[in-house]
Amino acid sequence: MSTPFTQILDGLTRLRGVSACLVVVAEDGIAVDSNLQFGQDGNRVAALSASLYRKARQSAGAAGLGGTGFMQLEADDGRLCILGGHELILVVVAERDANVGLIRIEMRKVTEQMT
Amino acid sequence: MADHIRGWSDELARDPSSLVFIPLADTLRQQGDLQMAQKFVIRGLQRHPHNAEAHDVLARIMADLGDLQSAFDEWDMVARLHPGHVGAIKGMAFIRFQQGRHEEAEQLLMQAQAQATDADEAISSAIATVRKSVATQSLAALVGDPRRLYADILASDQAAMCVDKDGLVVAGAYYDADGTDVAHEIGASLSGVSGEAARATEHLRIGQWRSIVFETEAAVVGLSPAPAQGALDEGGLIVVAAVPDTPLGLLKRVLGKCLQRTRDWLAVGAS
Repeated sequence: MSTPFTQILDGLTRLRGVSACLVVVAEDGIAVDSNLQFGQDGNRVAALSASLYRKARQSAGAAGLGGTGFMQLEADDGRLCILGGHELILVVVAERDANVGLIRIEMRKVTEQMT
Repeated sequence: MADHIRGWSDELARDPSSLVFIPLADTLRQQGDLQMAQKFVIRGLQRHPHNAEAHDVLARIMADLGDLQSAFDEWDMVARLHPGHVGAIKGMAFIRFQQGRHEEAEQLLMQAQAQATDADEAISSAIATVRKSVATQSLAALVGDPRRLYADILASDQAAMCVDKDGLVVAGAYYDADGTDVAHEIGASLSGVSGEAARATEHLRIGQWRSIVFETEAAVVGLSPAPAQGALDEGGLIVVAAVPDTPLGLLKRVLGKCLQRTRDWLAVGAS
């Protein structure tokens, strides 16, 4: 089944080092669409990502820093990149050596299309 | 040794201008007879006021007597009579270290190292000791006001804090645009982030999380796991915020420095 985001996610997944992409409802962490590798649990990734992003938004709010944009979690063997739209967030799971700068630019383009 | 002392004493009795008062005084000093040693060397210096070796022995005696300033003055005299006298410079460094003037001690030791003809392990070791003490002293001073723990690391438009697993602020501060310290509010809102990050990375099988960076309208914010040592349990966070146009690489560098400062601080606190 295809959604308005299927083509967008397919494009992101073609970037070097990207292993999964999801569009998630920011508020409740439910996946709207995803492009995952075999064996990945999209619902769990969506929930965890949305929760982390909400925390970032809360702390930004507490500090009076305004809206939250791009977020990146870096781990020993990979990265989780999140970019928020108004209601939806875009989540990308990537390998450690992926080009984050490029991923960030592409995510920005995609979120503009999403709104 | 007693024979030596007797021999030198006899020679001095025969010839009051003899220089044997120098080994005599130093031997008495080493045996702990500081008063007698001081008496011989002062009497000898009346006849040989420009003898650097005699001043050096007197400096050692004064140091053993606990009169640090007199000892320093004597070694200073040796250095004037015999410029570049490594023993005198080392002696002055020792006194400055004892007086808690660690930076001066380090400078003197560097000077001694430069003057020494061969590599002197003892000087290198002393420099390392002094530097460690300076670092410990600086951190100990900072412990007095944990809000200023990262003050010297940060630029004026940056802020940093350390929060524990419950979101309570342990060190650092965060002032908003109105000048209000909102560290506690931010700490509370970040409570649980470390656990969620750990769950996410575990689920994604991407190893242990090292940092989280996010951009906001007014700042870029970096988080990293705080070291679980000393009084801080696992689950704490180091938080750094900088102006929006700060390169993310620079932010991560500052984050790394704050992490190291926190480690040092906790180590001092635990020792």
